[in-house]
Amino acid sequence: MRPTGISFDSFTAEARVLETRRARVWLLVLCAVLLVLPFVSGPWLLGQLSYAFITLIAVYGLFVTVGMAGQINIAQSAFVGVGAFTAAKLSGLGVPFWIVIPAAALITGAISVLFALPAARVKGFYLALTTLAAQVMFPIVILALPMSWLGGLVGMPVVAPKLFGHSLGGPKEFYWLALLFAAVATWCAFNLPRSRLGRALRAVHDNDTAASVMGIPVTRIKIEAFFAGALFAGVAGALTAYFLQFVTVSSFTLFASVWYLGMLIVGGIHSPLGPILGVAFITIVQEGLHKISNLLLQSDSGIGGGAVFSLSSILLALCILFALIFEPRGLAHLWHTTKTTFRLWPFPRN
Amino acid sequence: MITLIQTLIDGAMVGLVYGLVAISFVVIYRAAKIINLAQGEVLVFGAFLMWTFTEGTGYAIPLPIALVLTMIACVIFGALIERTIFRPLIGQSAFTIFMAGVALLILLRGVAQLVWGAQTRSAPVVLPEGAIEFGPFLVNTRLLIGAIFTVCLTQALHLFFTRARLGLRLAAVAEDHTTALSLGVPVRQAIAVAWILGTVVATAAAAVLLSGSILSLGVAVIGFKALPVALLGGMESIRGAPLAGLIVGMFEALAATYLDPLTNGAASGLLPYLLMIAVLLIRPYGLFGWQKIERL
Repeated sequence: MRPTGISFDSFTAEARVLETRRARVWLLVLCAVLLVLPFVSGPWLLGQLSYAFITLIAVYGLFVTVGMAGQINIAQSAFVGVGAFTAAKLSGLGVPFWIVIPAAALITGAISVLFALPAARVKGFYLALTTLAAQVMFPIVILALPMSWLGGLVGMPVVAPKLFGHSLGGPKEFYWLALLFAAVATWCAFNLPRSRLGRALRAVHDNDTAASVMGIPVTRIKIEAFFAGALFAGVAGALTAYFLQFVTVSSFTLFASVWYLGMLIVGGIHSPLGPILGVAFITIVQEGLHKISNLLLQSDSGIGGGAVFSLSSILLALCILFALIFEPRGLAHLWHTTKTTFRLWPFPRN
Repeated sequence: MITLIQTLIDGAMVGLVYGLVAISFVVIYRAAKIINLAQGEVLVFGAFLMWTFTEGTGYAIPLPIALVLTMIACVIFGALIERTIFRPLIGQSAFTIFMAGVALLILLRGVAQLVWGAQTRSAPVVLPEGAIEFGPFLVNTRLLIGAIFTVCLTQALHLFFTRARLGLRLAAVAEDHTTALSLGVPVRQAIAVAWILGTVVATAAAAVLLSGSILSLGVAVIGFKALPVALLGGMESIRGAPLAGLIVGMFEALAATYLDPLTNGAASGLLPYLLMIAVLLIRPYGLFGWQKIERL
């Protein structure tokens, strides 16, 4: 519901994502702050933010597959890995980054279609199991391929991206690159639900029998949902490769997939705002835990690195369970209700 | 020829252990309609509990008493999972239940690492080690006893689910929660029983699988290996699980012996999952499952 006093005199005005001038101004301010941030902050924050942007792109992919189309995907990290290895291989061959990133996205998409094909026969739980198979098979395949192809157990170095002879490998330059792609991904994620494909995905999510009666090719839409989600994953993977400048199988585990899903669920799976809030929340919580545990490690209280890792997975699991049981619509819903409460104060919401 | 038959025997024995783990999937699915991805972690948890009661306490507890204590702890553990995580989610969508399973997976892994640590340790010897000779062939005693145990347990559970009143109630709950409730079947109780059975069977599988070998967090992979077995046998079929285990185990052993040298060791690792995708494409309800998977 819109507050009183906001009216539109044309369809285009009403169809905008940002309906009011105030919202547009705030967005411009946010963009400006993010753009000038490298001039005032240190490399640590820039690295964290760059990595958060990459994660955000991958989680947007999950938002399309899981949130919009309702198809469970527990292999997002393997798809990110496919993108990363493609990027590593291509950059090793001397391909410039503005070809590598779309190519990585397309190859990842093609591979995801392979695992989405069972959608023609099964749904729900059972479809999720094929993505689980994809996640488990990914390291086995990479490790079994000859070392000269994808690096095997050792991994592959990645050449830093270059534009007009300037290296984009430094923290500042890479931050802007990641910001650019995160901005494009955000634009896509906010506009996809308003498009024809987005409405088809939503219809399949709500009731696929009804959707097929409406003339939506359900199987094709499900496969397209996986493809679209994997495009995001491929971009995220290529950026990860450039960010870490080294790719190994051990970065793309089932755990990482669960982290992505956890961020989506905590943030809220039904709103494109969800991934942003989820990534921000989980990243902050995780960094906080790291800081606390670093202090504990220095004070010799007998806590090892393994305990830190296990604590962070316990914390993530509790976040997911808490969100599932008490707030299935996630932080995005909480954000909306809080906003409404403030706007309507002192009158009660509803 | 001797290699071939020896390979098949070994594969069949290991396959029956997979079958045992698959039964723990099936038991939970039959009553609660939950494919519990965390089953491998549940198994590791059971194994750690067993280690705690046999060696971890510092007292010399006799083995039978330690096993009884382990089983009691497992019952409590299963009931705890059901009560705290899955009971609040009764009636929720498949996605929610699935994600709760995933969350349970990392929760259990984290707790196990926090409590028992990540180091490997030797698992308690529950079954005798050694090998029996049948002519030119060798059969591992531990796995043979485990195989016999699997077959007996399968038959017992099958009778329980098709003859006993409580088992039939569980089947009714698996068919449809609303119908079961309207017929006066307590759904909550049924699901609690299913979880307890699931953890106990998983712990029994851990005893057979790990007796005398190495116990670490990595053992949980067995859960993902048994999942294709459970799917192939049919998620509702108790008797299908060991049979599918035999098939998967034998094929895996064959692949390990004959294909692995050619594929740099990948064939036996990939086989269960390729098989799982093939089952989903060709016969989604498995060999003996109920043919009611919704599709378009």
